[in-house]
Amino acid sequence: MSEWEPKIVSFLCNWCSYGAADLAGVSRMEYPPNIRVVRIPCTGRMSPKFALAALREGADAVWVSG
Amino acid sequence: MKRLLEYTGIESDRLQFSWISSAESTKFVKVVNEVTAKVKALGPNKRFVKKEAKVA
Amino acid sequence: MITFKINGQTVQGEEGQYVLQVAQKYGIEIPTLCHHKALEPAGMCRLCTVEMFDGRRSRFVTACNYPIWEGMEINTDTESVHQGRKLIVELLMARCPEVPILQKLGKKYGIEKPRFRAEDDTCILCGLCVRMCERMGNSAIELTGRGVEMKVDTPFHTQTDVCLACGACASVCPTGHITLDKIRDEITKKKNVHLIPSEYDMGLKGRKPVYVPYAQAVPNTPAIDRDVCVHFKTGGCQVCTEFCGVNAINHNMEDEIVELEVGSIILAPGFQPFDPSKFDSYGYANHPNVITSMEMERLLSASGPTGGHLVRLSDHKDPKKIAWFQCVGSRDLNRCDNSYCSSVCCMYAIKEAVIAKEHAGDSLDCAIFYMDMRTHGKDFERFYNGAKEKGVRFVRSRVHTIDPVHGSDDLSVRYVNDDGSLQEEKFDMIVLSVGLETSPEVVQMAKKLGIELTEGNFCKTSTFEPVATSKPGIFVCGAFQGPKDIPQSVVDSSAAAAAAGEILAPGRNTTTKQPVKIDEVNVMGERPRIGVFVCRCGINIAGVVDVPSVAEYAATLPFVEYATDNLYSCAQDTQDTMTQIIKQKKLNRVVVAACTPKTHEPLFQETLINAGLNKYLFEMANIRNHDSWVHKNNPELATQKAKDLVRMAVNKVGLMQPLQEAELEVNQAALVIGGGISGMTAARSLARQGYETHIIERGERLGGQAHNLYKTISGDLVADKLAELVADVEQSKNINVHLNSELTALDGFVGSFKSTVSSNGSQKEIVHGVAVIATGGAPLQTEEYCYGQDARIMTSLELDQRMKADDPALAAAKTAVFIQCVGSREPQRPYCSRVCCTHSIDNALELKKRNPDMNIYILYRDIRTYGEREYLYKEARGRGIIFIRYDLENKPQVEVADGRIQVTVTDHVLGLPVAIEPDLLSLATAVVPNRDDKLAQFFKVPLNDDGFFVEKHAKLGPSEFATDGVFLCGLAHYPKPIDEAVVQGRAAASRAVTLLAREKIKTSGQVAQVDPMMCSSCGVCVSICPYSAPSFIPADARMHAGKAQINAVLCKGCGLCVASCRSGAIHLKGFDNDQIFAQISAVSWE
Repeated sequence: MSEWEPKIVSFLCNWCSYGAADLAGVSRMEYPPNIRVVRIPCTGRMSPKFALAALREGADAVWVSG
Repeated sequence: MKRLLEYTGIESDRLQFSWISSAESTKFVKVVNEVTAKVKALGPNKRFVKKEAKVA
Repeated sequence: MITFKINGQTVQGEEGQYVLQVAQKYGIEIPTLCHHKALEPAGMCRLCTVEMFDGRRSRFVTACNYPIWEGMEINTDTESVHQGRKLIVELLMARCPEVPILQKLGKKYGIEKPRFRAEDDTCILCGLCVRMCERMGNSAIELTGRGVEMKVDTPFHTQTDVCLACGACASVCPTGHITLDKIRDEITKKKNVHLIPSEYDMGLKGRKPVYVPYAQAVPNTPAIDRDVCVHFKTGGCQVCTEFCGVNAINHNMEDEIVELEVGSIILAPGFQPFDPSKFDSYGYANHPNVITSMEMERLLSASGPTGGHLVRLSDHKDPKKIAWFQCVGSRDLNRCDNSYCSSVCCMYAIKEAVIAKEHAGDSLDCAIFYMDMRTHGKDFERFYNGAKEKGVRFVRSRVHTIDPVHGSDDLSVRYVNDDGSLQEEKFDMIVLSVGLETSPEVVQMAKKLGIELTEGNFCKTSTFEPVATSKPGIFVCGAFQGPKDIPQSVVDSSAAAAAAGEILAPGRNTTTKQPVKIDEVNVMGERPRIGVFVCRCGINIAGVVDVPSVAEYAATLPFVEYATDNLYSCAQDTQDTMTQIIKQKKLNRVVVAACTPKTHEPLFQETLINAGLNKYLFEMANIRNHDSWVHKNNPELATQKAKDLVRMAVNKVGLMQPLQEAELEVNQAALVIGGGISGMTAARSLARQGYETHIIERGERLGGQAHNLYKTISGDLVADKLAELVADVEQSKNINVHLNSELTALDGFVGSFKSTVSSNGSQKEIVHGVAVIATGGAPLQTEEYCYGQDARIMTSLELDQRMKADDPALAAAKTAVFIQCVGSREPQRPYCSRVCCTHSIDNALELKKRNPDMNIYILYRDIRTYGEREYLYKEARGRGIIFIRYDLENKPQVEVADGRIQVTVTDHVLGLPVAIEPDLLSLATAVVPNRDDKLAQFFKVPLNDDGFFVEKHAKLGPSEFATDGVFLCGLAHYPKPIDEAVVQGRAAASRAVTLLAREKIKTSGQVAQVDPMMCSSCGVCVSICPYSAPSFIPADARMHAGKAQINAVLCKGCGLCVASCRSGAIHLKGFDNDQIFAQISAVSWE
């Protein structure tokens, strides 16, 4: 890879940010292709374990959004 | 949570939280840009990655 | 089919296709400037030149208009092709040195500076615009002149009527030579050329003739606006049909008249915002910085024209000072005909001011100019107080004129301050809080239907039948019933549905169709056999992501047995094929990489069910909304991301287990707690729809607070109407009334509640599927204002009682005083009781009727006669009733001495104390809820700080609780007048019927489950769940006593308990730890 691109594991709430991400698509907005989305039913489902697991598995960052 | 990361030697900026409603696509894009920029500034995550953990 | 070679690769195309078309299909890049999919190629720019070998010799042809033939060989990237293109670019660059696209091409071909003499043109004479204009059926422009004189122009270089100013030429011009401004100034004779205003963005933004009204529209399919579409003007164009991959566009569609046979009609036509352009003094029509509140909503919205960045329209600068003017088009008979109050504007103005400050920072100065601040809704007063703390200024003044400040875009206003002094202030922008009105079309419709309207052109209804129009069978809800906010509209709509349901009850379930059931294959214990279907979505995904390579890649992943790509995965024929493939290949897990699961998951799950698979053995990878649509300029990384997303989904789906959806019988009886107006209305509606209903009432008779009321604002005697309602309830064979009764124990949950009711000392058990809480409220017991010291000092309800009894002392009184907000809107009770202003004014008018010479004073803080109640306020002022405003800091003083009552209040105009000696003092005491903590605990439903129950959602779920099967209405929700209590009673019944009518509840399979062996009985899950799904297994149970269990029926699958379980004992099916870990770990495999 010529330039390093970070991988960001994103935990998105099904009802909020996941919807926003869908809408961003519908509106054909553009953003950097670095995020990998894990859909969770609600940010309540988010557990610190997931963040640590993602970092351990080599993700460069974790983003949780409700 | 962020403090835990600091403790394990991971920059706390590697964990980001935000709240976005399903209608706020613009905000979504803004936050993605911000998060990506912050992480790019930090560089690759070197600590705590499995491969290295095995060595240690 | 013609087979030939491009760059050595064997390709196929249809007879009559050109080289470029086939190359594009195979993703082989050939540069071009003058090609457009919808137009016949012309070979004008020559950039698509390729080398063609016919078996004997090579020659150069333009790919865009060279037809394909069997056996030909094309080379798109040889050195000589490259040299040829370089020369073409160099010549074009010399002609148009400033055009960005040519500069970009120059860079690509390594041209620093053309060797030829530079000119300063911007047109490359590709003729795309001319061909496009011809396609529009118009031909307003032409390539005129010859040789070096050639240019794009109108005939004889004159402005023309032929040009429609449609902008098609500008939209295809590759160099930017043609602009909309040039079209307006040089080509068309149509002077008023502007963008098509987007209705959704209040005209602050343009839209296309083919458009989706707004991003979340249902259905989310585009429509063609016939009024502006060029095809409907010239018969030409139809370019859109060339781009639609599924041939969905049909310009020949005609309006269709559909005849429906229905038993009832519900009118919900809504309102239109008042148009303030008729007010010259506000300059809305000609000053860009005077905007309406609806435009402000769009400016503040993240999906609005500025992306939520607050700017003023004249110069797009960040405003520093904003003013809101209330009552524009409301409470105003002089300048418009709307004398009613629009009910919602005070609250939305405060909301906009607070949000504006959030967007622009605290330094933004927000001032709201108002007459009375009407925040009478639930929790609105708190929001108002909060806004004051945040620094929003509230100025009690009606401003008449806005003056532009000379030499700037600012606006100046002059107003009279509270103390009577004249002020002048400058603002950057001014928001007109426009009112709600019924549109002329709706008035027409009402005439056609023969239903009566009020003087404000709202639908005429009565207090006890607030959703019934004057025509039987036709019901009304929302702002056509009267100006109202969202929660009130939602309550209305449920009530209207119930009203229609009552008369249509016998027809329920008579036209239902049952789907055919397919037996489920047992896949337990089988090794995963995963099928991956990657969707092209026409070009939506395939245009960016290399779909075949993603499918190829998917096939290499562990446990993947089959991977393919589809053109449109959601098309019916693809669905059928997928079903076949799943069966043939014996797949037991499926991944669809396509769009968003939020819209398409149910569809594909249906496919699984048809193939005999459990629908939870499925996962979607969102490679459209989250990938191809948002990374269109980065196809490589987008393809990489698509592969990652597919890998994550595959890794997760392997761990998915078939989940069962529990089915639960819904007991067909209902329990209503509280026999007041709203409770009885709920019970009557349920009974009319055929459900057995129990009312439990604490007191010894039905009717509640209504017994204390004299008459409605429309003049009906409450006692008469109440008697009718009670008779209805008592005579209904479906209703069992339990008087002197109380709920002493409750067991069970939605569908099967078991209540223990104690009546007159005896206990009985009632089994029911749903419950409605209608426990009501009561007047505040007060000692303020010498209440209790003199018989002439009474509460509003006591005054009603005396009116009912025709007390002669009332007509004999010379002077009467009403004091408002007794116990309301105070620090210990920071809510408005909503009913008191109207009630006191109505009572004052009644006193005037009984004794026209009586002096009547109403001491108030803000008069809140919302909606058409405003007419009463106007009438009261007209009849000489005197309104004196007081502040919370300076309340009226009441003294009783020597048999005289003395009221002292500081007049806000004079600033001097006024002493009144009334013979009658009526106190508008607050409405307080019959707070019932025990009931709240029984049903696990929350109470707010004021003791009112907290509904599921303040706006969208006002008549139900977050706990399934429990509903809410009446004063237990918030203070409200009779009509609103009636509406909410029916709304609660309506919501309850949505459960009862299903007879069986199917739960989701994605619910939490406790592993009792791991559970430590700590109780965190029990206390944290918003839906009361977890509970402890009783201590005397045979198995797992004291451990937690989760009721699958109540669980919404949010996972809160799973994340907070300290013992790791709770699993969320479908989103379990191992499944999420699998997704996480798949992120970074390469």
